[in-house]
Amino acid sequence: MMVMSATDSTFFTLNEVATAIWQAADGRTPLSEIVTRKVCAEFEIDSETAQHDAEHFVEELSRHGILLVSDHPFEPPALS
Amino acid sequence: MVLQHEIAIEIGNVPILLRTVDENFRDLLASHYAGFIANPTNPQIEFDVDVAKINEEIPDTDDNDVKVSITDGEWCFRRSDFVARWDPRQRHGRVRQPATPYSVDAFLRIMHTLILAQQGGFLLHAASAVRNGRAFIFSGVSGAGKTTISRLAPPDVRLLTDEISYIRREGEDYVACGTPFSGELERPGTNCVSPIHSVFLLAKGTENRIDPLPASEALRCLLRNILFFAEDTDLVNGVFRSAWHFVQKVSVRRLTFLPDDRVWSMIA
Repeated sequence: MMVMSATDSTFFTLNEVATAIWQAADGRTPLSEIVTRKVCAEFEIDSETAQHDAEHFVEELSRHGILLVSDHPFEPPALS
Repeated sequence: MVLQHEIAIEIGNVPILLRTVDENFRDLLASHYAGFIANPTNPQIEFDVDVAKINEEIPDTDDNDVKVSITDGEWCFRRSDFVARWDPRQRHGRVRQPATPYSVDAFLRIMHTLILAQQGGFLLHAASAVRNGRAFIFSGVSGAGKTTISRLAPPDVRLLTDEISYIRREGEDYVACGTPFSGELERPGTNCVSPIHSVFLLAKGTENRIDPLPASEALRCLLRNILFFAEDTDLVNGVFRSAWHFVQKVSVRRLTFLPDDRVWSMIA
């Protein structure tokens, strides 16, 4: 899967693990839960390494404006 | 009469002329694409650029997905920050976007994916470099080492790009062209053309080694990294056939490497 930043047009080609995180990032599920349910459960990787790599990945995407990171769930957009 | 300012950006020997009334924007592009500016008198394609105001909403661009489609022979490209229309028969198009070179980057990449698709080539998410007159392509998923191997290149290596490689078919062979599209290194590639010797699919490891890959695996990995946006069955099939032809003609191998400059002793 490929993702391109709309801010600076940087490209990311995602591997299977990164794709799983990207697809699970719904603005409400904590990253730790995504790692447990979508990464550790489906790929052969220990939880500490998975959490570390996931945080690095999310930080990298957020640096290019592709993901927003918050300590709190994002509110769903209001219906018009 | 409104004064028009022109600039031709030539990538892969394809000059695309951009015309705008915003002189500052033209100057910004001249700086951003330094090394890839061509004579504007004989462009293959011309675009009129309408510069939108900052935070101005671009019509019909309601999400961040890139959408590229063709209707009655006219291409339409859309992203949240720009909308472009291009009629290949007229060799002319129009784009509305803010005064940022990053929107032009995205728009030019889309243009070149369409141009290359009809010539048997493609853009690849890969670094590429020339050594001893031969081009080497380094591809892989994000984090595999494209920036690292570019940064480690010795002085006799000319970097074509650390981000987007331009692969053009010439007869039965392939050449790599420099591009201004930069990644983490934040510097444009060298504007030159060289025959492609090898493709390396990168993986960081605990030793330096090169392993052969069966063509089917090479194709699978290559397809993962080819840039293509258009919703067009014939062109998608064409890109698939081009990638298959490419892996028949060019050596594609796995390069596992330690992140230090010894890896370049294996690349010549």
